[in-house]
Amino acid sequence: MGIVYLMLTISLVIAACFLGFFFWATKNGQFDDDYGPSVRILFEDEPTTKDV
Amino acid sequence: MAGTKPRKERADQFAFLDLPEIQERYIQFKNEQQIKVTLSLPSIHCSSCIYLLEHLYKIEPRVLQIQVHFARKEAAITFSPDLPFSELAALLQYIGYEPDFSRVEGKTKQRKYTFLFQLGIAGFAFGSIMLWSTPEYFGLGQDNPNFRNFTSVLSFLVSIPVLLFSAKDYFISAFKALRSKVINLDVPITIGIIALYFQSLIQIFSWQGAGYMDSFSGFIFFLLIGKWFQSITYSSLAFDRDYTSFFPVAVQRLEGQTKKIVSIEQLAVGETILIRNEEIIPCDSYLLSDEAYVDYSFVTGESEPTRILKGELVYAGGQIQGLAAQLEVKALTNRSHLTQLWNETKNKIPSNQLIRYQDRIANYFLIVLLLIALGSGLAWYFIQAALMFKVIVAVLIVACPCALALSAPFTLGNTLRALGKSGLYLKNVTVVEALTGIDTIVLDKTGTLTDPNSYQIDMHYNGLDEASFAVLVNLARHSTHPFSRVFAAQNEAVAHIDLTGIKEIKGEGLTGVYLGETYFLGSAKFTEIGENKGNELYLKHGDKKAHLLFKSSWRTTAIQRILKQFQAKNCYVLSGDQNLDAPKLIEMGFKNENLHFNMKPNDKAKLIKTWQQQGKKVLFIGDGLNDVGALGLAEVGIALSEDMFRFTPSSDAILDAKYLDKLPELVRLGRYAKRVLQICLAFSLSYNVFGLSIAISGQLTPLFAAIFMPVSSITIVVLSTALVRLKYRNLFKS
Repeated sequence: MGIVYLMLTISLVIAACFLGFFFWATKNGQFDDDYGPSVRILFEDEPTTKDV
Repeated sequence: MAGTKPRKERADQFAFLDLPEIQERYIQFKNEQQIKVTLSLPSIHCSSCIYLLEHLYKIEPRVLQIQVHFARKEAAITFSPDLPFSELAALLQYIGYEPDFSRVEGKTKQRKYTFLFQLGIAGFAFGSIMLWSTPEYFGLGQDNPNFRNFTSVLSFLVSIPVLLFSAKDYFISAFKALRSKVINLDVPITIGIIALYFQSLIQIFSWQGAGYMDSFSGFIFFLLIGKWFQSITYSSLAFDRDYTSFFPVAVQRLEGQTKKIVSIEQLAVGETILIRNEEIIPCDSYLLSDEAYVDYSFVTGESEPTRILKGELVYAGGQIQGLAAQLEVKALTNRSHLTQLWNETKNKIPSNQLIRYQDRIANYFLIVLLLIALGSGLAWYFIQAALMFKVIVAVLIVACPCALALSAPFTLGNTLRALGKSGLYLKNVTVVEALTGIDTIVLDKTGTLTDPNSYQIDMHYNGLDEASFAVLVNLARHSTHPFSRVFAAQNEAVAHIDLTGIKEIKGEGLTGVYLGETYFLGSAKFTEIGENKGNELYLKHGDKKAHLLFKSSWRTTAIQRILKQFQAKNCYVLSGDQNLDAPKLIEMGFKNENLHFNMKPNDKAKLIKTWQQQGKKVLFIGDGLNDVGALGLAEVGIALSEDMFRFTPSSDAILDAKYLDKLPELVRLGRYAKRVLQICLAFSLSYNVFGLSIAISGQLTPLFAAIFMPVSSITIVVLSTALVRLKYRNLFKS
């Protein structure tokens, strides 16, 4: 039974980490623009070396 | 090409950006290597825009980096100091993204994230508490009291920030309402929350059970989601612009023979300024040039340019048409006629917010709720006195109007989005409520019923042949006069011909030579055909002539649909023009007594007030600064806009001009919102009745509460979304 207490505590800590992550992401502006990044990821990468 | 078709460019249009004091307003950061600005680029509209702008460095290496913020239609630009700011702006304009300098906030303000934090904490608590309450739901709590006590204390700890931080706005709102002796929906919500919370505290610390902490945090979570849903509006549109964003940032000041660009705040009375074709006059002034044509359509609603002679007064807000004009400043911008008009009408604007429908219900709700709680408490006092307190609390808990509180945000929010999809962008959800009561439609004439971008040209050939016509079209291409330009634009297909000896006589017309023969284009007097009458243009080659009559073209389909749907007796027209168009309007179906001409901006507002006093609920559609007063007074003031992101007077909503013919459907959809709201309210009230019957019989368990509350809330959300979507599809897709 004791293991339940441990697991519960761990789950709470993990959830709290996610909450903290959510706060960080919000403050960082991750939720400001919900369209731009989805487009930006599809842009071609710039070639780093010249084709031979 | 991405972006939009650039407007006519002018080499030094952005020269004001190189003035240090103006630059200061926009530049966020500057050192030897780079300058950072954030510009509002209203034409950003698709993924190619993002691509083009963010790869601008390939076209112009001096632009170091651009990051587009799509939702706000802004671009954060870092460029090298080698690139003058004005050139950057000109480049952006050239590729189709003209920066809107009236919307730039030099220093980006810190965005507030408090609300998202509140939502996050409530969600976190809701999920966590439900997780460790699972044994409780299956009735296993009794078997292991130690574990139950552990999780209960944990629930208590997690719920503290929900109570103190996430839910605080509801407490504040309820407290404010009570202090000003009104009841809003937040009052019963607060009572419910407090009953729920303290009942749980008692249970937890008397070690009798886990309490209702899951329902409590879930409840707050759902309420906040509703609020969030309601608050999403169109961040890229500006509904509350004032006159300052209409005027140019800077003008050319003449100092002897030299021109100098100065910001309009620096102008002083008596100075001379130069205003060119299509520029806006920034302050009331006297005309120093011999003659000028001023388009006051935005200020007064008059559709034709006014001819002003030397020494006459021109008012701020007019747009110079044709030749550049020299003006002597008479009054500063903030003292101009237009600015005063704006401020005057602005003071008269009453709050457009209706008493919220559900707040009115909240009144009755609270009374009935308290009566039921007292009644059932009294009944239980005789049945089993020990349970009396528990039942009263249970009644308060289960009656907490969560579903009720979600009805309005979701119904109105869904309607707002559906309307936005069809070109009507509302400022916020209170406008949807205002829209439901509309019974009178008032329309501005110029720019609303007529299409400012298209003229209908009646052409009468008096022997002019096709070859001469082509020459004259080419001649018109050299003219700056608005009518010649319309004429040239409508005959864009005519092949290019090189003309010689082009001479323009100010405000009269122009002549050109082709193959040794002279061609004339201009007023009746200029072409020696007759007396000037206005709205006309004559073409002449030898004794062959043509007569062009310019008429503003009507948005006929829209007018007819509006008249049909709202009935002619409910449709009014207010116009700043003389009543020349009355026969045409009556022919289209308007009632003669509903047409009002020669209306000054104040008259429009006054007339609307009179109608309102007669009990009419007015929807006003206008497009100009002269409509500001009327837009503010009407229950719903809609600014019609050809280009969504250009200047519109302050209003409750902005309607894309190409959707004007859809107005009947838009109003119907708005009205339907009230029906949906009623259905949702009926649903949530019946849920409450059902919950109450459980509570009164003394059978409310945490498990029941944990299931009951989310289910009732989710039904409301699904119901309102589905109903609004269906109606939208019915109205617009058929």
